[in-house]
Amino acid sequence: MSAYRISDLIDDRPENGVFRINRALFSDPDLFELELSHIFEGGWVFVGMACQAENPHDFFTGFIGRVPILISRSGEGTLGGFINACPHKGARIAQQLSGNARLHVCPYHSWTFDSAGANRNIKWKNGGCYAAGFDRDNHDLARIPRFGEYRGFLFASLNNDVPSLEDHLGEARKLIDLVVDQSTEGSELVPGAVRFTYAANWKMQLENCSDQYHFTSTHPSYLRILNARAQEQKDEVVQSTLGGSDFWKEDAEGPTGGTYSFANGHVLNWGLMAVTPALPLFERADAIAERVGTARRNWMFNMRNLTIFPNLQIAENASSQLRVIRPVAHNLTEMQTWCIAPRGESAEARRMRIRQYEDFFNPTGMATPDDTVVYEECQAGMARQERPWLQGHARGLAASVEGGNAYSDSIGLFPQRSVLGQAQTCDESLFHSYYRAWVGRMRGALA
Amino acid sequence: MTHDMLRDAEALLYREASLLDHGDYDAWLDLFTPDVVFWMPAWRNEVEQTQDPDRELSLIYYQGHSNLEDRIRRIRSGLSVASKVPLRVVHAVSNVMVTAQTSDGASVSSCFTVHLVDVRAGRTHVFFGRYEHELVKTEKGWRIARKVVRLLNDVVPTLLDVYSI
Repeated sequence: MSAYRISDLIDDRPENGVFRINRALFSDPDLFELELSHIFEGGWVFVGMACQAENPHDFFTGFIGRVPILISRSGEGTLGGFINACPHKGARIAQQLSGNARLHVCPYHSWTFDSAGANRNIKWKNGGCYAAGFDRDNHDLARIPRFGEYRGFLFASLNNDVPSLEDHLGEARKLIDLVVDQSTEGSELVPGAVRFTYAANWKMQLENCSDQYHFTSTHPSYLRILNARAQEQKDEVVQSTLGGSDFWKEDAEGPTGGTYSFANGHVLNWGLMAVTPALPLFERADAIAERVGTARRNWMFNMRNLTIFPNLQIAENASSQLRVIRPVAHNLTEMQTWCIAPRGESAEARRMRIRQYEDFFNPTGMATPDDTVVYEECQAGMARQERPWLQGHARGLAASVEGGNAYSDSIGLFPQRSVLGQAQTCDESLFHSYYRAWVGRMRGALA
Repeated sequence: MTHDMLRDAEALLYREASLLDHGDYDAWLDLFTPDVVFWMPAWRNEVEQTQDPDRELSLIYYQGHSNLEDRIRRIRSGLSVASKVPLRVVHAVSNVMVTAQTSDGASVSSCFTVHLVDVRAGRTHVFFGRYEHELVKTEKGWRIARKVVRLLNDVVPTLLDVYSI
């Protein structure tokens, strides 16, 4: 049991208009160990896309918390989630990030498993003088206790005692639909995965994705280039999706966007964007409206940063990114990122999407490094201090209402809470949803 | 003939490395042709890099000089926290080979290591890989029409900018 009580760490008193987070959540190594056990290894996490193992016997590998996993499609076409460790001595049976294999042979003593996880051979079994107890053991690859798919998005839980995936995702499923329904064939990952690390806590990334407040102050160097490009209109530079939109500008008038929070820690930060050719999706704007209705089509063009707690983020703003957060230490995080795109878009739309992506999202681009460097600067200030409580979860609270608003109603989306923002609202109260889910998963570990 | 080309190529590559080391970005930009292709492919998996920048992701892909100018503009803007405290860098270019040659052009391959000190973060790192340069002869001397950076250690610690490779 940790020395902390939950009330030492999260000061959640809605009746007094107070929500504060203790810096220890970002800087205490012992708390980080508890997070690995209870948040990442204790409940539903995103593990990958079905399209990463599209054909029979395709597989990919990864981790849930500290536990190596193997996602494999059987010969019959069924996806399975397994612990990527030989029952014999623990060696990872698959070492590649991805591949195709009917059989996985352990590199140590050649125990062999098929693509459905079943043990197909124990080397020299008959001559091995095993006692009866051994035969009573199951020698297949251990299955991840819970494994499920929602429209190509794969989730798993090492803890069996969790709600159904459907309940876990809840209303946020409708926001995944807005990604998948951009094509009748669904979504795909553009080849080329990009990984980077930053020396700060994983929750810096969790929050930043849904932090509208930082955009104009962390990325002015990028915004200045967008403005120059919009004026010059040179063919050789890519125009930004954001150039024709006002939601992020300080002097925009009327509602510009806002936030929705959902049960289990999922949140959406969004901004109004018009249906314009600045987005690669524009080529299908009419066809999509016909298929899913104008309201849902218009939402597909809005800026949307979706977090499925605790480790999946789909950012559709300057381009379209799928991010997976992998916590490594209390002050080290690895990000795995892909460009996610609707299948079947034209070559020109795809090229535009990729160019917009590289400029903004890559750690080698012109925006993300300013985020990751800021995370590290924040991490420095997370050291224990006389004033432990952060002041970064307070904006928007007075505008937060129960339920949704006209914008969510238009697509039948029912959030727990919402903030309809003016240009300078930049709600931070949506983060509360993260920390309430955090408390939900950590409750057993903290008093 | 080939011998002279090798010397010219080495001179240009070393000059490029030195300009990046010293942050002389105007002179660095001047090394590239107006329609330069500057490309750092991503990795598709453990062994293959992406090959088609229009259908696959790159770490950096630019066609046209003004894209490189934008990068430098951002570094110098004073508005990028990632660029505020300059990193100290040393480029070492080696194994330079002329792989193809015409009267006014050459293909050159080489290896690079870039040692960096991120003074802000108190952290050192080495990026390494291979360069492929397409050089063209102009009135101003040899210029770079195409540069491919094959970065081998592609898990980027926090940031990688044009001076890091």
